Amino acid sequence: MEKTLNRIRLVSDPEETYYLQVSWEKDLGTGFGIILSDGQCAWTGKVSEAEISREAADMEMNREKYVEELKKALITGEESAGKYNFAISGDEENTDCCFSYERNLKDGSFRLGSLKLQKVLSPAEVMKELIGCCLDRLQRLQAKKEHLQKENARLFSDCRDVEKRLEKCVQAKEELEADLYNRFVLVLNEKKAKIRNLQKLLNEAKEPAADA
Amino acid sequence: RAPDLSSVNKVSSVFEDVEFCVMTGTAKCSKSELESRIAECGGSVVQNPGPDTYCVIVGAENVRVKNIIASNKYDVVRAEWLLQCFQTKMLVPWQPAFMIHMSPDTKEHFAREYDCYGDSYTADTDVAQLKEVFSRMKDNKLMPLDMIAELEERYSWNSCQLSIFRGNTIYVDCYAVVNEPRTKIHGTTLSIRALELRFYGAKVVSHLEEGVSHVVIGEDQSRVKEMKTLRRTFGRKFKIVSELWVTQSVEEGVPQNENQYLI
Repeated sequence: MEKTLNRIRLVSDPEETYYLQVSWEKDLGTGFGIILSDGQCAWTGKVSEAEISREAADMEMNREKYVEELKKALITGEESAGKYNFAISGDEENTDCCFSYERNLKDGSFRLGSLKLQKVLSPAEVMKELIGCCLDRLQRLQAKKEHLQKENARLFSDCRDVEKRLEKCVQAKEELEADLYNRFVLVLNEKKAKIRNLQKLLNEAKEPAADA
Repeated sequence: RAPDLSSVNKVSSVFEDVEFCVMTGTAKCSKSELESRIAECGGSVVQNPGPDTYCVIVGAENVRVKNIIASNKYDVVRAEWLLQCFQTKMLVPWQPAFMIHMSPDTKEHFAREYDCYGDSYTADTDVAQLKEVFSRMKDNKLMPLDMIAELEERYSWNSCQLSIFRGNTIYVDCYAVVNEPRTKIHGTTLSIRALELRFYGAKVVSHLEEGVSHVVIGEDQSRVKEMKTLRRTFGRKFKIVSELWVTQSVEEGVPQNENQYLI
């Protein structure tokens, strides 16, 4: 079971913050559950796979595309703020109500879906669950952060180590090369000195012959 | 003290009528062992070299050996030569590698055949022999990079894949303040680029000054403007290229045209 908790604002009541928890199995397209709360009251509702298919069909929209839209509207949270409108209609104080969500367009908006929400009798339980979920997730993220930090530190020190070793290799290569070239030139110059000497001897041998 | 060699069984006559003076033995073969094996081969042994001594044999060098060398009268030969003679049952010709010291006569003879490093003037060499010649050279100066570049150019070795950046003088932009080596930024890919440049033959410098041929820039381009200003004051203009120039040249194995990487 996966869950997300987001803050949303209702069109009817822009000042008030509502909390929206969406829970689903594996994929949002296979149906999902919703908990909506203003901190005091809470409402729950469910959308089945069949309903999702039907809504997509009603809108003449590709089902996958529709599910993508749903994800953006209900799960992504912060970054979708302003792009989507949420509204509650009906008697929200006492009984059931209708929760609807629509996509904001430049000129107007179009409705993505709606569902019936039932008022929860013990909202404190729901709040406890929401806070519990948040704390669990915080803990998971904290553990993950620590793990990643450790991993990062390890990678960093490995990298430094490899760099140092590479530096040594490069230096050794430079020195070996410079040393070998030096030795090579010394031996080569000895050969050239010999050739010069032989040339000199040859010239000396030619001169008396020319004289004669 | 001379050893008693009268009871030795003669096994060959390689050293018939040749007189040796063994000064010291080696770790594997003691002085007396060497002496008795000389006797087995028909040679004779004296404790001090004289006018008839063919050569002085030395395993390990010591003060007495140094004195003999200083006298400049005898050929001082490594015990390894003797061991090779025993092994092949032949009088192995002397080679420079065997000679610890040469008398003037021998020196003259060798000078006609070998250069002062022991490389033959006439016989072809091979990897092992050249290695041996190189290993005996005591003069181990390091050749400066520009001389290497010249040498490689002369013998057309400059197409070698390890010389991609040969002849280039390169400043890598890995200092937070230009020309301040103390402000080196660690842990960036640029320090690896600098090592790559060196590995492939470049001269990497820590100061951006006249004579620099390239400046290599990483992701951070904040110092480019300053470098361009500095460039205006230079007689010889350097090229400012992205680090891609380095990686792609290395990948292709040939230097890539800088103009595609200019910043």
